[in-house]
Amino acid sequence: MPIVTQEMIDRIIHKYPQKDSAALPIMQLIQAQNGEMLNREALRAVSKATNLSLNHIYGIATYYTMFNTKPVGKYHLQVDTCVPGFLHGADEIAAHLSQILRIAVGETTSDGLFTLSTVQDLASCATGPVIQVNDRYFENMTIAKVDQLVDALRKGHTPENDPSMTVYSECGILLNDRTQPDCRTLAFYKKNGGYRSLAKAKSMQPKDVINEVKEAQIRGRGGAGFPAGTKWSFLPKDDSRPVYLICNADEGEPGTFKDRQIMEFNPHLLIEGMAISAHAIDAAKAFIYIRGEFAWIAKILETAIEEARADGQLDHVDILVHRGAGSYVCGEETAQIESLEGKRGNPRPKPPFPANSGLYGCPTIVNNVETLASVPYIIQHGAQAFKKIGVPNNHGPKIFGVSGHVNQPGVFEYPLGTPLRTILEAAGDVKGKLKGVIVGGLSVPILTAEEADGLLLDFDSCQKAGTSLGSGGIIVINDTVSTPELALRTIEFYHHESCGQCVPCREGSRVIENKLRGIVKGRGKMEDIDLVIQLCRTIPGLSLCPTGEAFSAPILSMVTKFRSEFEALIH
Amino acid sequence: MSKNIFIDGKPITFEDGKTVLQVARENGLYIPTLCYHARTGPASMCRVCVVEVEGMRGLQTSCSLTPSDGMKIQTASQRVLDARKAVVNLLLANGNHDCLSCEVNGACELQDAAYHLGIETPAFFVKEYDERDASAAFIIRDPNKCILCGRCIVGCNGQVVNEVLEFGYRDSHTKVICDADLPMGLSTCVQCGECVQLCPVGAFIEKKAVGKARRWETHTVRTTCPYCGVGCQLELHVKGEQIVRVTGVEGAEPNQGHLCVKGRYGYDFIYSDDRIKTPLIREANGFREASWDEALDLVATKFQQIKQEYGPNALAGVSSARSINEDSYYMQRLFREVVGTNNIDHCARV
Repeated sequence: MPIVTQEMIDRIIHKYPQKDSAALPIMQLIQAQNGEMLNREALRAVSKATNLSLNHIYGIATYYTMFNTKPVGKYHLQVDTCVPGFLHGADEIAAHLSQILRIAVGETTSDGLFTLSTVQDLASCATGPVIQVNDRYFENMTIAKVDQLVDALRKGHTPENDPSMTVYSECGILLNDRTQPDCRTLAFYKKNGGYRSLAKAKSMQPKDVINEVKEAQIRGRGGAGFPAGTKWSFLPKDDSRPVYLICNADEGEPGTFKDRQIMEFNPHLLIEGMAISAHAIDAAKAFIYIRGEFAWIAKILETAIEEARADGQLDHVDILVHRGAGSYVCGEETAQIESLEGKRGNPRPKPPFPANSGLYGCPTIVNNVETLASVPYIIQHGAQAFKKIGVPNNHGPKIFGVSGHVNQPGVFEYPLGTPLRTILEAAGDVKGKLKGVIVGGLSVPILTAEEADGLLLDFDSCQKAGTSLGSGGIIVINDTVSTPELALRTIEFYHHESCGQCVPCREGSRVIENKLRGIVKGRGKMEDIDLVIQLCRTIPGLSLCPTGEAFSAPILSMVTKFRSEFEALIH
Repeated sequence: MSKNIFIDGKPITFEDGKTVLQVARENGLYIPTLCYHARTGPASMCRVCVVEVEGMRGLQTSCSLTPSDGMKIQTASQRVLDARKAVVNLLLANGNHDCLSCEVNGACELQDAAYHLGIETPAFFVKEYDERDASAAFIIRDPNKCILCGRCIVGCNGQVVNEVLEFGYRDSHTKVICDADLPMGLSTCVQCGECVQLCPVGAFIEKKAVGKARRWETHTVRTTCPYCGVGCQLELHVKGEQIVRVTGVEGAEPNQGHLCVKGRYGYDFIYSDDRIKTPLIREANGFREASWDEALDLVATKFQQIKQEYGPNALAGVSSARSINEDSYYMQRLFREVVGTNNIDHCARV
């Protein structure tokens, strides 16, 4: 067994208000020290360290994809073949790796050096194809670069990643100048006016800060578009329990890679936003729940928090970075709370809502990274200035990520209500003939080229057009793509990510995947199409959490809008 | 002032602290449930108990829904029935629910739900079968029949606190695991059978009962467990003169349905040929049968002799752990007051 001392364990446990929360980080630590594997011996060590029963630990270990209960090679090559990756040629990359390593997906080379896997969405949609090797990303991969990567790894070298993509900010609020080498530092941030907003907020009464954010009518940027200030005002008054703030940085909706732009290059903006929000809601403890794959971004955030703390900015709140371990559903706020409590990431039934009973049964506010990063601007310039950006009822700047078939995929910060056309032009325009576009991350209905024509990108306009702005992850699809194949990829993602708790999502996604695979493989029947449609109409509003709707809506739109393509595959 | 909800248009008075499901059931209305059990509480996972509530967007699980005055609830609208049918069909399609050979045929909550929803055969099939686990002494696990309601898990961890069962893996590969996904027979399971008692389907069954009787062939006899002083309430499921299975009586004190491995599975001794049915007195040639009066007279005489010859402290009383508290109390009074010794003990184990 590796050397994990009690002191190391205690140090982790002491960071948390309740010790069970340390389960995931302790498992991450023990796995890393145990050849990237949690075998039974390691699991027993975790059980002992956490004082949690073995069945509970094994339940966690098999829930999160980043825990390996079986051995993996020294280098675990994980190719993201989800929809954006697929559009960028990830299948060819996986096939090539399989060929040069002479192993199938899921296998390990006989020398124990490489394990090849395909994975679902690494939030590198504009920089795909992407391969995750252990805890590092290799983006913008080509066949030639794959050969170089494998050669280098064989020699024990780790090559540099190329994360380049188009970045443009019309608003200059959320995306900073990342070409500056010191863009992440406190000094750079303060030189450009950073932390003045926090100073201003601290001189205000918390209720006035809440009112300002409420007045700005900022709608949540995580996907649901619920006004953040209103969410804050749901906190119970005169309650003796502590209030917790959680920053949702579990960016995992395919097509979405915006939050990592803020966290990686402008971390102090998020920290200042959290510090202001914590002051407003009187939270002394705040968490950044970041997806586990973003290990290096978690380090950037920790460094930035340390800088801010040393500078006296965080005297009123302790911010802790907590890494997830591979689960899309943990982006749902109640699942995130469960995960933060050291459990499987199963969403809770609502009510109660987190504002009343969230983390450890205490009042909790969960806000998205981009939402919190918008707060400094609101406080510094006032709600009225914020409302001047965007269109009525849809205020402020928004980061749009563009992936798929455009010439220059990347991230683009524009006011809400900006025409889709403008953003596609900024992304170098569509490659080939546009077939459809998914504007809000994979969980929203696809729009045909005609439907997308003239669309404005704000919550209300998207709803009117029969889709949703969601997270603003725009996936562009040209006419070379088969819609049944696209639908199959889509359901594969949600089936894989279903927490497995409720019947409609767990079994519904399995049946839909099974039927769509049958159709794509030429084994389908006409009634399969109707069954898929029927399930997609029944599941929304029936599943325990929004995941059921997250796959029903896009699949239903793909099957109904492009039905002839499905029918053409039935013999 | 009393508060009302309207279920399918009918006003029903309710008390605070009850869920819509409880109120409906108390008023004789049928709402199917699978993951709900009175002891494990609402889980909101199976979604089969959903109802439509005026003013609420999604369907609501009645097991977790708190009624409020004037709430208008539909339990049999087309939307509700379609949703329930979808849930039951999905469960039927994704398992091996073969009622013909199933041990719980006739006592299965999934079967009941399908029956009441008018589902004769599953609307579609997706089959992927796992192996049955018959490695344990008394319990057979059949993951193909498991509907992942979680009742066994709440029972194992929250009620009897043996901490063996848990959900493992995820998506449609989610399954109930023992410890670190070991066969039950190799796990730390003590075979209390709480999971069998709580299972709404045939995913956990009693090994000893397999092939013995259909559910409708047995009648139940309520009795008290003879093993220890707790006095657990048992229901013997009897076919003819033969016990087929034993379950704990739900809602009855002191055990509220819980049993231990002995109470649930250790009933074969009553059919043993070696069982002692009358008192036996040992003589030079071995044991001979005697009446209770003769035997007790003999014991009393011998006790008196020993007391006279060696004093009361030459005697000691040990009561059996099978005795109830009251019997042990009388034993100590007998020894302290009648015999005159403080030499008393209790074996405290069976």
